[in-house]
Amino acid sequence: MATLDKHSGWVLPLFGILSILALWAGLIYGFGVQRFVAPSPAGVASAIWENRTLLWNNISVTAGEAIAGFFLGNAIAIVLATIFVHSQLVNRMYFPVVVIFHTIPIVALSPVLILIFGLSPLSKVMVAAIICLFPTLVNMVRGLQSTTLSELELMSILSASKAEVFFKLRVPKSLPFLFAALKIACTTSVIGAIVSEWIGAERGIGMLIIQSTFEYRTELLYASIATSSALALCLFGIVSLIERFAIRWRTG
Amino acid sequence: MSKLTETAIDLRDVGVSFQSVRGEVHAFSGVSFKAAAGRFVVLIGPSGCGKSTLLRVIADLLPPSTGELAVCDDNPAQVRRERRTSFVFQDATLLPWRTVTQNVRLPLEVGRWKRLGRQSNTPEEMISLVGLAGREKAYPHELSGGQRQRVSIARALVTKPDVLLMDEPFGALDEITRDHLNDVLLRIWRELKTTIVFVTHSLAEAAFLGQTVAVMAANPGRFADVVDLDGRKANNEIDRSSKAFFDITSQLRNILSHASGGH
Repeated sequence: MATLDKHSGWVLPLFGILSILALWAGLIYGFGVQRFVAPSPAGVASAIWENRTLLWNNISVTAGEAIAGFFLGNAIAIVLATIFVHSQLVNRMYFPVVVIFHTIPIVALSPVLILIFGLSPLSKVMVAAIICLFPTLVNMVRGLQSTTLSELELMSILSASKAEVFFKLRVPKSLPFLFAALKIACTTSVIGAIVSEWIGAERGIGMLIIQSTFEYRTELLYASIATSSALALCLFGIVSLIERFAIRWRTG
Repeated sequence: MSKLTETAIDLRDVGVSFQSVRGEVHAFSGVSFKAAAGRFVVLIGPSGCGKSTLLRVIADLLPPSTGELAVCDDNPAQVRRERRTSFVFQDATLLPWRTVTQNVRLPLEVGRWKRLGRQSNTPEEMISLVGLAGREKAYPHELSGGQRQRVSIARALVTKPDVLLMDEPFGALDEITRDHLNDVLLRIWRELKTTIVFVTHSLAEAAFLGQTVAVMAANPGRFADVVDLDGRKANNEIDRSSKAFFDITSQLRNILSHASGGH
């Protein structure tokens, strides 16, 4: 058990993934599934290699949109959370608005934004930003309000100003909440960009997914899906890495 | 540092009441009390007697509803602005992202400390005073409950306060650790000559630490009696296994049970 524990960090997930790939390949060959219905893992792997330039050119567009949307959406969320925490009035007036806005399906919002911003990447950035905004806003408000009574009394005894309470107490207290939200946001921002590309785009991995589906290039479709997933995984890894440096004090 | 003739705490008919759904609720009322600078004052009483509330009034965290008070012959708000009082909470209230030194330094980073132009203790001195030299770079989660409370005492002392207010600081610790920290606190008090107002519900802690023990009663919250122990504790020192210590504890217990109607 000791050796298993030592390597279980990456060995077990690797075996998990390999077992699913084996099952997938077994089903394809066992039932003699046609290539255009569902390709084998090997077929997808070779499609990724053969189409690497095509995939790269499209995923880089999507990545740019997702990352720009991620920064924009989270920046707005953090600013809004700061305002909400400091003003009960604004909070009570606009928090319901944000909730209602959040209930609009993102697929329905995309055409609206395309009408406003056109087929340019800007409309995709906006969708990615909107999809990031809500989880971060809710978490950030909770994080900024997670101070205890004695912490606030301490700051009061020390005659700390509102700004000092914010930067020395509320902001550091909110970081674990913020990163929990950012880890969700970095993957949903990719989804937002792709969904928006489906509705209408000249380039991007979402456009490639739609196109390869209509042309029955199933191996390319799967290759596009794998590439999108890899992008989300990369962003998740980067955010997790930054979190580890930002919250070193965490008890774990 | 305070002049010896100064009155550190002067309460005149102080009371606090809150508005609740059932009308006005008195936390405590009619409290008059004086303590000279440098004294070790203990407030003891059952829960609900308002002892922590009284401590917060002295700290200017809460205004009194009736009566008047002066801290170091000045009004409490002014004293707080000048950072002449410090507070130690029941939970250490350390910021988990700061190391021991960074936590102790916090009071010097906020509340316009530099503009006040007052002298401070160095964080390093205070950390070694509370017996934590060598743990400067530790984070709070790496410390025991007793060590965390030592850090919070060091943080309270870094501003050289005239009055140190302590709200059941060792209430959550085991008895062995608590006795040990009581020894540490008395040693610090002798060294720094700070006025201390210490809230507890432990009779042994009150008898061991206090020069003056104010016994509070609940329903309604009030001062039941104030016991001066100067005659019975030379230099505020007492052996926990002595007859004198037993007698003081018994006397305090009697006052408490009489005040609460013999329950």
